[in-house]
Amino acid sequence: MSCKPFSVDLSQDESGLPHYQPPPCQVACPIGTDVASYVGLIWEGKTSEALEAITATNPLSGVCGRVCDAPCEPACRRAGADGPVAIRALKRHVLDALGHDYRLPPVQPDKAKKVAIIGAGPAGLTAAQDIALAGYHVDLYEAQSRPGGMALWGIPDFRLPQKVVQDDIDRIFSRCPGIALHLNSPLGDNVKLDDLSQSHDAVLLAIGASAGKRLGVPGDDGAHVIDGVTFLNRVNGGERPILPKRVVVIGGGDVAMDACRTALRLPGVEKVIVAYRRGPEEIPARAYELHAAKAEGVEFLYNVAPVSIEENKGGVALKCRKTALGAPGADGRRAFSLVEGSDFDLACGLVIAAVGQKAVSLELARHGLMDGDKIFTRSADMGTRLPKVFAAGDAAFGSSTLVQAMFQGHKAAYYVLAALEGIAHPAPYRTPYRTRNAPVAQDILWEKLAPKEPPFLGLDKRDPFGDAEADYDARTAHEQAARCYRCDTETGSSDYTVKTRESIFALARPEAGPTEIAAITRTRLEKRPDLKPAGPATFDELVFLPANLTRLVIDPYREACKSATDLAGMKLAQPLLIAGFEDAPEAVAAAVAKTVAETGTAYVGRRPLPGLSAPWLQIVSDPVAADPAAAAILLDVGETTVLPRTRPGQLRGLIVTAATLEKGIACALEQRADLVVLDGSGALGAAWADLAGAPDLSILPRAVEQMRAARAEEAFPLIWFGGLRSGSDLAKMLALGASAGLVDVAAGLAAGGAIKPEGVDFTGVEAPEAGPRLAAYLKAATSECSMMARCCGKTNVHNLEPEDLRTLSLRAQAAVGIVMAGRKKIA
Amino acid sequence: MVTLDLAQISVRDANTAMRAAAAQGEDIELVNPDARHHLGVGLVAPVKVTIRGSAGYFCAGLSHGARFEIDSNVGWGVGDSLYDGSVVVGGNASAIAGVALRGGEVVVKGNIGSRAGQVMKAGTLLCCGNASFLAGYMMYGGRIILLGDSGERVGEDMSGGAIYVGGRVQSLGADAKLAEITPEEYADIYAFLAKYGIAFEGGLQKIVNAGSKLRYGVNEPVSRPLSYTVAEEGTYWNAKVAEDIHAKALIGRYRIRGYGAAKAAPHFNDIALKIDPERIHAASDALATVNLKTTLGDRNGAKPLELSMPVLIAPMSYGALSKSTKIALARASKLAGVVENTGEGGMLPEQRAEAGQLIYQCLSGRLGWNIHDMLKADGLEIYISQGAKPGLGGQLMAKKVTKELAAVRGIPEGIDLRSPSRHPDIMGADDLVIKVEEFREATGYAKPISIKMGAGRVRDDIKIAYKDGFDFVQLDGMQGSTGAASTEVLENMGIPTLAAIQEALEGLREIDAGDDMPIVLMGGVKDGVDAVKALALGASAVAMGTAALIAGGCISCMQCHVGNCVVGIATQDPEHEERYKIDVQAKAIARYLEAVRWQIATLTKALGHSDFRQLSRADLVALTPEAAAITGLPYDPDYHPVEHVLTEVA
Ligand SMILES: Cc1cc2nc3c(=O)[nH]c(=O)nc-3n(C[C@H](O)[C@H](O)[C@H](O)COP(=O)(O)O)c2cc1C
Repeated sequence: MSCKPFSVDLSQDESGLPHYQPPPCQVACPIGTDVASYVGLIWEGKTSEALEAITATNPLSGVCGRVCDAPCEPACRRAGADGPVAIRALKRHVLDALGHDYRLPPVQPDKAKKVAIIGAGPAGLTAAQDIALAGYHVDLYEAQSRPGGMALWGIPDFRLPQKVVQDDIDRIFSRCPGIALHLNSPLGDNVKLDDLSQSHDAVLLAIGASAGKRLGVPGDDGAHVIDGVTFLNRVNGGERPILPKRVVVIGGGDVAMDACRTALRLPGVEKVIVAYRRGPEEIPARAYELHAAKAEGVEFLYNVAPVSIEENKGGVALKCRKTALGAPGADGRRAFSLVEGSDFDLACGLVIAAVGQKAVSLELARHGLMDGDKIFTRSADMGTRLPKVFAAGDAAFGSSTLVQAMFQGHKAAYYVLAALEGIAHPAPYRTPYRTRNAPVAQDILWEKLAPKEPPFLGLDKRDPFGDAEADYDARTAHEQAARCYRCDTETGSSDYTVKTRESIFALARPEAGPTEIAAITRTRLEKRPDLKPAGPATFDELVFLPANLTRLVIDPYREACKSATDLAGMKLAQPLLIAGFEDAPEAVAAAVAKTVAETGTAYVGRRPLPGLSAPWLQIVSDPVAADPAAAAILLDVGETTVLPRTRPGQLRGLIVTAATLEKGIACALEQRADLVVLDGSGALGAAWADLAGAPDLSILPRAVEQMRAARAEEAFPLIWFGGLRSGSDLAKMLALGASAGLVDVAAGLAAGGAIKPEGVDFTGVEAPEAGPRLAAYLKAATSECSMMARCCGKTNVHNLEPEDLRTLSLRAQAAVGIVMAGRKKIA
Repeated sequence: MVTLDLAQISVRDANTAMRAAAAQGEDIELVNPDARHHLGVGLVAPVKVTIRGSAGYFCAGLSHGARFEIDSNVGWGVGDSLYDGSVVVGGNASAIAGVALRGGEVVVKGNIGSRAGQVMKAGTLLCCGNASFLAGYMMYGGRIILLGDSGERVGEDMSGGAIYVGGRVQSLGADAKLAEITPEEYADIYAFLAKYGIAFEGGLQKIVNAGSKLRYGVNEPVSRPLSYTVAEEGTYWNAKVAEDIHAKALIGRYRIRGYGAAKAAPHFNDIALKIDPERIHAASDALATVNLKTTLGDRNGAKPLELSMPVLIAPMSYGALSKSTKIALARASKLAGVVENTGEGGMLPEQRAEAGQLIYQCLSGRLGWNIHDMLKADGLEIYISQGAKPGLGGQLMAKKVTKELAAVRGIPEGIDLRSPSRHPDIMGADDLVIKVEEFREATGYAKPISIKMGAGRVRDDIKIAYKDGFDFVQLDGMQGSTGAASTEVLENMGIPTLAAIQEALEGLREIDAGDDMPIVLMGGVKDGVDAVKALALGASAVAMGTAALIAGGCISCMQCHVGNCVVGIATQDPEHEERYKIDVQAKAIARYLEAVRWQIATLTKALGHSDFRQLSRADLVALTPEAAAITGLPYDPDYHPVEHVLTEVA
């Protein structure tokens, strides 16, 4: 693992790779989490790899697994179908599955410079980690007695147990020994900006916005009014006050949701009402939180705004007015107005005002760094009004989400590091996208599996502050991970590639105007290099010509097509023979022998397979080795003048390669051979000869030509060996003049083998399965071969002819002498 | 009663006169029929038609409600696609009597030729004499009663319905078996015979589908394709090959998937437009200044299709696609002023209502094919094949044959559906021309008739299409997609789209056809850039299938054949279809088509033209030696546009 965290290293951005398309979830995530990879890795059961993918950009992975607002989920393409992938809950699953003491290896500081960071909340911690991982020392100052900021103090335990926050923080510190944490060190008293600027090479202000805003109506400073953050801070600090029976929370954001659910859990409370000034469509709280609050019994009043708060006998009368919604304003939110004469009172014992937070710091104000209730910060480089002093997080840009704060932490760290390294004009920061190329889940049910939320536990009276949500069990997590579309992966089609798909999506988007269309068009007009892989022509560069209007032949009603094959009197059920397996385990070889017999084919090899009752075509290099038990002897040296025969009726044949072609065919003609094997691999007779790779296709047409020139076209059947993978490959060789094909590696794979450097490996293959699998493959290949023939209007595979073929490349045209599609003649 | 003398008037006039008379409720008598073809074709009225003599091909074809009586013999295809009504033939009937019956009754007093009742769906075909071979071939429903001998291979590949044989069952066809007859069936058959005054009280043998062929034991183990790049990594025995062989070794048959050829073959990316990309800007007035309008289909005097740009939606079937998807495509096509196509499997009423202009496709199985929808269509199309799977019939698993789908296709619900690889009545060029004429007669020569062809021997096929009088050709290269086909056929059968257009134009040139028969090119046309290349190569328009689906949310997982489409496009499962939001996707497709329009206009202008018809080969260069060899364009991979060939865009 690189010691530089990827998120501050723009060079790790992979979004420009030809086959990598950053998926919408990743793009929606402010810190560019490689969601698709971690979800794919979860499906594979590779949990620690999944955590690597998560933590690479997210130091607060555990926290995010619980409470991230997950902008990725609405962006998920599956959201438009049956619901998004449960990206957040899956993240939690990884953390829970690995256990709270899971740690990453430490990265020691190796540089002298020092950075001071004020505030150990999400932004400060993120920046501290990035800077420490880059080798610098960090002094991290925290005003409170514990680190974590809003993650610790602002979010109630039933959503985010403090232990989870602590685990993340412990992970950061164990990974980054270069961070020195100073608790109870608020800016101002002992920690002075001037001093820090002297003692450190850069200062980053990440003090957060932890002061609640007031309601701004008469009476909002009364004894029965508290702001949401203060309320949450106190409860999170361990207080469990007895509250009045009725509590009203004003606001509709996530703090309001946390506050109302927290209030509900405190002693004395009977009813909690949330009053929000816009309607249910506009409420900013996440649907999930809203749903949870409702499920626990919180009541919601919409289109209501407070106008004043009056004390009355131990409680308050919250004077409210109804609101009416107008057109959307510049920020996209609908404006609202108070409806005259719609006043009403809400009686309650406590009002919690959750209407926003602000940053407060006298020390910073003294240095002229504040701009209202925020630190003046340039978003271009995160700098403030003082040189080498940077700012990030809620104090800099107003209160936002956890993941947004982490984004700012990364971004600030990037500019701080640039400053430390003396880079005056760093490339503008942008979230880099990276992929771990996790394989796509091969889950048969991926299309069907419905979204499933993690088990909702809700409010348990016996343990009101216990977890309100449980983790998935392993199986559910696996299933939920299978649901991912994997928008990040290349498609199976070289024509409709992932980039093509995305370009079509982009053209269809509501926001696509001429600017976007013009940009996409320019990209599409760019010329691309000719990417044809090097090497000889392959079967893939040959295609068949289907019968449409012309050549509507012979017997249009017959859907069946014959494939029986006669090789010099040797009758086979299909034009496909088997080779290889000589060094396969005995049991596999025996199973193959049985299948060869049962499927009516023959075996070609130096030795017969154990128990083989089907014809054996023996490969010999030395005529004296010829075995009378063989149905045919195939001499594999092209030059020998005498083809051996050990008994009457034994077929005589030889194997020719590109090197021995002319002599070999001449010899076969002269000796009146019964059959000839054309070996495109040049290696037949060696173990798994087909592993030689792409065969030399040209030898078949050359052999046919030579025979034709000798006026002996039908002199002997040709058996093709080399590179055959499917029935279509076979059909092409039949069309070019072969009578049958011979497979070894394909048969080995079919029997369950795997390709290893030494050959085809049968480790772990159950011999009883090998036979039926090979039989199934032969059946499939034969049906493919006859399907090709049928499409060409043939009722017998042996009626395929060169005229049924076209080539797709010049090299194939040259190799097999078949004209390219679209052309009339070769030159 | 009106008497028409075919010694005096042409068949076309006779059919027009019959329609007029029938509209008045008049019965009709045809004298001197002289075995002419297409008599009474397309007649939709409950009148009696008496033919005094013998009729030729397709007598009473595509009619509904009339009662035909033919004194003597009929040629092939009597009662073709009859919707309802009756046809009584006094003598013998030639081949494919009662082909594609959708209802009604065809009674032949004498013998019938081969393949009687092929792909019939409902109704009754009665033959009082003997049948020739393959009676009931690929029938889907209804009943055939043969009082004489069955002929050979009776009931071959039938999927539904029943065949009753009074004489000898000469041999059973593949996947057919004998079954018990209930007393109720006997009573029903005897009543039917009595209605036509036929005395028969003998026993019968019943033949039904054996169901041995269509079920697959094992599912494919893999649910999503590996990246295509695996095959290009340079190792011959790569992971994709191994995966493929392993899968076949498990299922014992060829594999199936959606989409078109996945391997790299010469394509639009291998040719370039002579445009400097940097000169394409957002502020283009090309939409206002470049003509994109065109028409298709008036080569023989029909009312042409009007296109706001040279783009069509490719034919895609309701069946392969969900109803919601067909509705969205229809709606988008109307918004964009282009033409939608039913594809195989019939016309949905909603689709007809939503589409501005709709082509109605006729396939070998004649699924959903009927006179009423023909009359509602704006164009008729004979499907010979498609680029993805030329030369093969189709297949739809029972699971997808829902009640609604079965109703639209006119077949029994829940049967395993296969369709033949060739039309019952198109064996070659000569039959085809008669078929085309039948459609023209049935619809009063008012509708363009096109042919859909996958690219094979295009140079020759196109000449036949020309001579058979098609109004235009929909030509599909091997890159063209499908809802399901054998992977081997997808990759290995047919020639690339670039080669297809090249051969088509050369073929037409060889017979001096001029540019009288337009070619709509398809198969991997992805946007306006590809469209302009196709037009410059000589296509009159392009059609898009997959690109329109992607614009509507398809994620290219290529698992269309499974039927569980994750986005609700290629599925008939209501739970999955629900995921597809018609309105959202219709708008997305329409926006995509508008972007295509922008591209075609802008690029046409950038090449210095004011009308897309001015695009020509001079606007193109080839980037690979292969593309140059196929198209004959100059090979110039380093081409840089020279300033003076450009006109300023925007
Ligand atoms: C889901 C699907 C269903 C199709 N159904 C038919 C059909 O019923 N009739 C037909 O002629 N072509 C059918 N096609 C082929 C298209 O008409 C067209 O030839 C092909 O999609 C063009 O290639 P493209 O998808 O690359 O645009 C179908 C294609 C798809 C993707």
